[in-house]
Amino acid sequence: MGRVQGKYEFMLRRFLGFLRSLLKNGKSIFGLILICSFLVVALGASLLTPYTPVGEDPFDRLAPAASNVPPVWLRSLPTWLGGDPALSENMMIVQNPGSPGLIADGGEFKLETANPNLSVAPSNISYSYPLPLGYKQYGGGGSLSVTYTRRDGTTGGEVKAVIFKEFDFPYNGPPSSFYGTISLQVNGTTTVSGVPPVDKLKVPIKVNVFLGSIDGRKWPIWPPVENIFYDVRIPRGFTKDRLTGAAGPIERPLFGATVFDNVTGTFIDSGWITSVKNELSTISSTSQQLVNPKSVFTFPNDPARVVFSSARGSYAYGVEIVFVDTGSTEDVSTTVIIDDFGLMLKGTSFGLLGASHRGWDLFAQLLYGTRISLYLGITVAALSVAIGLVVGLAAGYFGRIVDEVLMRITDILLVLPGLPLLIVLIAILGASIDNLIILLGLLGWMGFARMVRSQVLSLRERSYVEAAKAIGAGQFHIVIHHILPSVMSLVYISLATSVPGAVTAEAALSWLGFYDPTRMSWGRMLNEAVVEAGAITSWWWIIPPGICISLLAASFILVGYALDEVLNPKLRLRK
Amino acid sequence: MFVFLLVNHGMGERVWGQKLKNIYFSKAFRRRSMGLRSFILKRIVYSFALILLVILLNFMIFKSMPGDPVQFLMKPWGRESAEVRLQQEQLLRDLWGFGEPFEVQAVKYIRNLLTWNFGTSYIEKRPVTESIGLRLPYTLVLLGGSAILSIILGVIIGIMVIQKRGTVVDSGAVTGSLVLGSLPTFWLGLVFLLFFYNVLRWFPNKGAFPDAWALGRPLAYAVGSSYTSTSLSSVFSLDMMGAWALVAGYLRHLFLPMLTLTVFSVGGWILLTRATMLDAITEDYIVTARAKGLTERAVLFRHALKNASLPIITSAALSFGFILSGAIITETVFTYPGLGAWTWTAIQFLDYTVLMAIFYIVSICVIAANIVADLLYGIIDPRIKYG
Repeated sequence: MGRVQGKYEFMLRRFLGFLRSLLKNGKSIFGLILICSFLVVALGASLLTPYTPVGEDPFDRLAPAASNVPPVWLRSLPTWLGGDPALSENMMIVQNPGSPGLIADGGEFKLETANPNLSVAPSNISYSYPLPLGYKQYGGGGSLSVTYTRRDGTTGGEVKAVIFKEFDFPYNGPPSSFYGTISLQVNGTTTVSGVPPVDKLKVPIKVNVFLGSIDGRKWPIWPPVENIFYDVRIPRGFTKDRLTGAAGPIERPLFGATVFDNVTGTFIDSGWITSVKNELSTISSTSQQLVNPKSVFTFPNDPARVVFSSARGSYAYGVEIVFVDTGSTEDVSTTVIIDDFGLMLKGTSFGLLGASHRGWDLFAQLLYGTRISLYLGITVAALSVAIGLVVGLAAGYFGRIVDEVLMRITDILLVLPGLPLLIVLIAILGASIDNLIILLGLLGWMGFARMVRSQVLSLRERSYVEAAKAIGAGQFHIVIHHILPSVMSLVYISLATSVPGAVTAEAALSWLGFYDPTRMSWGRMLNEAVVEAGAITSWWWIIPPGICISLLAASFILVGYALDEVLNPKLRLRK
Repeated sequence: MFVFLLVNHGMGERVWGQKLKNIYFSKAFRRRSMGLRSFILKRIVYSFALILLVILLNFMIFKSMPGDPVQFLMKPWGRESAEVRLQQEQLLRDLWGFGEPFEVQAVKYIRNLLTWNFGTSYIEKRPVTESIGLRLPYTLVLLGGSAILSIILGVIIGIMVIQKRGTVVDSGAVTGSLVLGSLPTFWLGLVFLLFFYNVLRWFPNKGAFPDAWALGRPLAYAVGSSYTSTSLSSVFSLDMMGAWALVAGYLRHLFLPMLTLTVFSVGGWILLTRATMLDAITEDYIVTARAKGLTERAVLFRHALKNASLPIITSAALSFGFILSGAIITETVFTYPGLGAWTWTAIQFLDYTVLMAIFYIVSICVIAANIVADLLYGIIDPRIKYG
């Protein structure tokens, strides 16, 4: 017991001594600090950035930023350094799209009604928020409903209700695109009993979502054709109110209002009229074309630049609902339920390092790239050192035919062109991170195996090995307990010095296009920047990954170098 | 080239030194009784066996690859019937010997490679040997030039560093070399492109010569004609303007890739020079030389460098073996029309004939460089005796 304890104490003291001499070396301190900070970044990447490095959506519709934009701090940089004061940032105009309440209810929107027909009081418009339970809630905390009621049997004509939010745009230049959503549901009620639901919607509506400056210029953005409103009618084929079938005033939502597209003359939707989430985002500077389920539409100009042509100033985003009351004399009402009403502006700059050509945060890519590089570097180093150690020990200790065979294999592998072979194998096996690790490990052990072998060749002739043989120790015992400890210093050094090779090899392969498509690595960032996006002038995209690769590689090399000096006292004396 | 030098051997002076020692103090060297001639003979026989093994391995790797090579050779399916198509495939199979047994194929393959018959590229539809001949000069000039440049620079800087050993300059140079060696080559190239092409516009970004030369290169010779009493003969004279334009055009395109490779590899040479010089100056004869009152310069250059130069020279010979292997990345960054960029294209299209040829040539280069290094070591170092 005491002996075992003493042994551990000795080991601990020896380790501390080793650490002390390692920390005396300035290079190793620098290297260790770097490695530790890379480790922290790799482990805490998800805490350090809210964004993900690559999108799961193949079309990258949900990317947080506009395509290929510079970092935000470029705005405050002087122009001769490449700064651009006209850059804008991302803005969430509607904070809570899921619960579009009016300001009076703690929400963000305003409601205004304007009635061209003076004989009907504006009070025939009413609203409620949030909706009573029983209504379909389209996400978020609640829906806003606007109801038009025909009173006293008087036909009202066209009655307009506008729900909008005013906001200030603080930047000198326009955003690169905007991204808006809305969901509508329309219900009709009537006091006449026995009316089939098909006929309940006596007052159809027209809808127009707009975005514009406050002085009255409104740019219709949805439905996507200027000056054409969508007619909203009740669904076809909805013959009976199956829920009650009762007489008397029916106050029940009609899930399934249909949008009648008066351009194509067809009914296009049923249920919630939803501007498909990404529909509005495609009315943007990037595509300028929108493919609607029923209509194809192009904006004459880059809409974001047209709408925000005056840049800095006050703007409004809202929806205009026109109740077209031209019907008979019975008392009817129409309720429009609005939900998921949001607007986001994608700026011409983003984040700490800008965004990629697909709109993903480059800073997040850089942080998550640390993970791949560290993981790959360390596992490859461990794998190749393990193989090299086994081969070297076997070749050196057993000699003869074992040595001959192993060394000839080593020779062949050393002679084969490493990078082309690796590329061909990766091209065939597929570029997953595991394949990469295995191949790099299998092709990287030869130099170390030779080193170990030459060391073992001299070690096995030592007298203590002779002594161990004399007392009848087995070959395995001798290799493990007498030879291995003497080559461990080589192992440590080689572990440290083969990480950078693996990291740069991975980067080089990714640069050539052989990267794991599910992960973002530093090499892949460079490949995407130059090869895919052709953005070699985007220095904020090109410079950081390379610096990270070389810092990581350099940190391991420095530590390996310091280990070398500590573990080989002869080198220290030479100074 | 050094990406793989790094993977295979690690970096740092100790590792470099160890690698050299492994090679130079291998069993073959330690057999003092062997004569130089028989030693060379043995090396050559061994290398030849190694080449045969490499060829076999090559054959096996590419043989086991997915995809039917006949499909590469066939034209796209036109209007012919499936039967005709099958017949054509069978004809091709017979013509190229795909139906023959494995060992017959292997022997044919070895014979073809040994006689420099690499077949026809699937993509270019041109003999591979011809394509190699077109591209080799570019790669040789680029990689060879940068290797020579970095060796010369590295040795000079290494000696300057050794004179200041133990100071901040020394540790700074060592750290700097280590960092330089760990930079990814392609990134270094990208940064140079960004700075020298996109910002300053000093150097072109791609190709080995101006685009306009595709139509016709400037003439270095002026062809005139002169009448003599007896005959009309053409007179060639050197056109200085044309010659200058020709040289300048090539050099401007060569500069950035060469700069990249040189900056990247110079660190390794600095470290190697420093390490071998450190070994040398701790020897007794240096103490003697100092005691004689020689200047530090004389001690360093006449006594230390002479002995330290052995590993440097042999290592230089070895590094030339990796020239082709290292060309891929730099040439793709600068779209330089050498063998490296060609290899990359071949990999993209899985042009097996080209890849096999490249593998073979690279392996031969490495083997040849090893032989040369061995011989150089034996010739330069008088202490090594073969008989």
